[in-house]
Amino acid sequence: MPPAIVANNLSRSFSGFTAVDRIDLSVEAGQFFGFLGPNGAGKSTTIKMLTGLLEPSGGTIQILGQDLIANPVEVKRHIGVVPEGMALFGKLTATEYLHFVGRMYGLDKATTTQRTAELLEFMGLANEQKKMIADYSHGMGKKLALAAAVIHGPKVLFLDEPFEGVDAIAAGTLKNMLQGMIARGATIFLTSHVLEIVERLCSHIAIIHKGHIVANGSLDELRAGVQARMTPGVDVDPSARLTLEQIFLNIVGGEAGMTNSEQELPWLG
Amino acid sequence: MDGGADAGAVWRHCTLVNQFKKKGGAVELIGSIIVYLVFGCFAFGMMAFAGSMSYFAASSGHLDKIDLVLLGVFALCQLANIQMGQPGTVFDPTQLIRFPLRVGNYVAIRLFFGLLSPANILGGLLSFAVVVGVAVAVPSLWFYALMSLTVFAVANALFSQMLFAWVDRWLSTRRAREIFTALIFVGSLGIQWANFTFNPAYQKKPHGSGVSMHGINNGVSFYHRAQPFIGALPPGLVSRAMVAASRGHVVGFVGFTLGCALFGAVFFAIFAWRMSVEFRGENLSDAANGVSAKAKPVVVAAAPVVVVAPQPEGRSVLPSAVAAVMGKEFLHVRRNTGIFYGLVAPVVFVFIFAGKIATRGNAAWIFPAALAYSLMGIAPLSFNSFGLEGAGVQFYFMAPVRLRDVFLAKNLVGFALAFIEIAAVFGIISYVAVPPTLLMLGVAVLWAAATLLLTTALGNRRSVTAPKKIDLGRTASKQASSLSALISLGTLVGSAAIGGGLLMLALYLHTLWMLLPLFLAFAAGAFWFYQQGLGSIDRFAMDHREAMFEELCKK
Repeated sequence: MPPAIVANNLSRSFSGFTAVDRIDLSVEAGQFFGFLGPNGAGKSTTIKMLTGLLEPSGGTIQILGQDLIANPVEVKRHIGVVPEGMALFGKLTATEYLHFVGRMYGLDKATTTQRTAELLEFMGLANEQKKMIADYSHGMGKKLALAAAVIHGPKVLFLDEPFEGVDAIAAGTLKNMLQGMIARGATIFLTSHVLEIVERLCSHIAIIHKGHIVANGSLDELRAGVQARMTPGVDVDPSARLTLEQIFLNIVGGEAGMTNSEQELPWLG
Repeated sequence: MDGGADAGAVWRHCTLVNQFKKKGGAVELIGSIIVYLVFGCFAFGMMAFAGSMSYFAASSGHLDKIDLVLLGVFALCQLANIQMGQPGTVFDPTQLIRFPLRVGNYVAIRLFFGLLSPANILGGLLSFAVVVGVAVAVPSLWFYALMSLTVFAVANALFSQMLFAWVDRWLSTRRAREIFTALIFVGSLGIQWANFTFNPAYQKKPHGSGVSMHGINNGVSFYHRAQPFIGALPPGLVSRAMVAASRGHVVGFVGFTLGCALFGAVFFAIFAWRMSVEFRGENLSDAANGVSAKAKPVVVAAAPVVVVAPQPEGRSVLPSAVAAVMGKEFLHVRRNTGIFYGLVAPVVFVFIFAGKIATRGNAAWIFPAALAYSLMGIAPLSFNSFGLEGAGVQFYFMAPVRLRDVFLAKNLVGFALAFIEIAAVFGIISYVAVPPTLLMLGVAVLWAAATLLLTTALGNRRSVTAPKKIDLGRTASKQASSLSALISLGTLVGSAAIGGGLLMLALYLHTLWMLLPLFLAFAAGAFWFYQQGLGSIDRFAMDHREAMFEELCKK
């Protein structure tokens, strides 16, 4: 089986500024892949390129063995996306929106209707289905965006900050749903600033910083790498488990500029 | 005043300048310059008219009649404010409330930005033209005219600021917008009906001007009955101030001018009250105002979703994606009373106009003229196809569909609406006037098809390069690209010129039968042009998607 997502030499420049600089990524099918980075590192630019929302300046993207740039329509049939802006239609109700999305993905009316009802119930939006989406709270919008992203049963799911604004109960339900998808063979590409969630859900993690991939591997591999760097020449004690936050800060934190006492702002109360 | 006002002005300036720096911004800037040049020409013409009328009123000793000119200035400013919008699309001043501003500064900033609207500038210029007209006629009154009309211009501008601040508040819910649009619709129809029914100029008379002495007397009588009310309003107060000044009654002049200033103060107070509520923070959505049904407690289902592979498409005349987008577009049209009004109004106006205007001599021209008029409501729709969808536009780029299909679906809805409109116009003209000849029917429909194809082809491009996010809750804000509006109108005029030219040619050669093949060729050419545009729209949209997202996905 080919990897679910492969990016080679992927680049994107904006008016002379290189946001993503020739990165290589490979996500195996069935992986829950976390994609991390500080603000402005190139996360959103990368996910936009991987989902067809942004044209790369260079490089190639293969999703499920197919070239995204050459066969965008065919690739998009098999992926689901919750983008940064959620891409909802404010002037529709949730039911109308999910019907519309289902039809756009080529589902027949009966299947769309059935899945719409199931998803609205599952997301806790069944009682809000006649309300205009424009009147939804941010969290409700996120849940609806996630419902729309999975209605066609995608094999690869791209999630850009999916839990932002979602309450703890719903977040727990969504995590279960995502893990269920992984168990059934789907691949999930997740970006989030909530490192605890990434640590709990993701089996593999890549960290992007200043447009370059600075770390890539399983959580254990990243942990071992960081510990080895912290104590060169000393065997790593596997029982001394670093959290993902510590790993992340160790890799990019110093340069990101939030841990150095010299950089503190003494005039702050 | 602290630094908030300076910062706000800089923010406004930077936002304005930066919008022209982005991709396609230069073209938009050129478009804006052209629009404002055209606007300037109109403004100059109206200034000349207002100045002349004031000159004649003052020089003939009828300074009291200046109130009619000022009433016109007042009405024109409000209409221009509605038509041209407030400067708010590129800059949302309500965002300023998160900064540590005092409420007074916030009100001042909002007022300052509002006063810079084109309509208020027009009001100022027209008031100045009245000053010039009076000063030229009676030079000794120049100072008094300047003083009182400055107060009038300020009161006028404050009125529009007050009005639009409250209109935005009242129209924040969908229900209110629907009611308001219906009221405007009924009001517009009522005015048109009254104009055609009671205006002597539209009464059919075989000879003479059509304006009878009886009609004139009625008009004068109405004016005299309304005079006491007008006299108590700013236009009347200013004209009374001018009369007092001309008689040397300085106290009277000051009193009436202060009366006008009092109106301005009241307008400002009501505006400031609205702004102070806005400053404290408010949620004007339907949900917050209890318009939507109250939600029942949410029960999260425990069962996981069943994820199944996509089903094959069923048999349908249209591809699933095209049908889905068309269904959504019809929902948008149904829910947007503004669009609905734009579609229905021309048909109703045709109903009112056609019967009054039609005579045996012009019967042949009534149908094509009515058709051209009704197209003015439909043609602009394709120029901002994604405006109502906002951030939802991203979905089209994520879904497994070609943008060509999305545009085709949107265009098909537009064509369907146009077809209904054409059929309605045909039915109305046949009923209230004379049915068009078969030749004229065919020619007019071919012309309409060609025009629609041309405007839609251009509109599709403009929807990509110059989209504008439409916020229905901000009715007083400018929500369309100036250049797009200009191109839409220009295409209609250009197509009408081509149609007219072909018609003249056929008439000159006494070969009316030629019209059919000529217009068929015109429609075929337009179809080719449309098809070419649609064929390359995917690549075009992909190339411009970032600029689209930037505008349509903004908060």
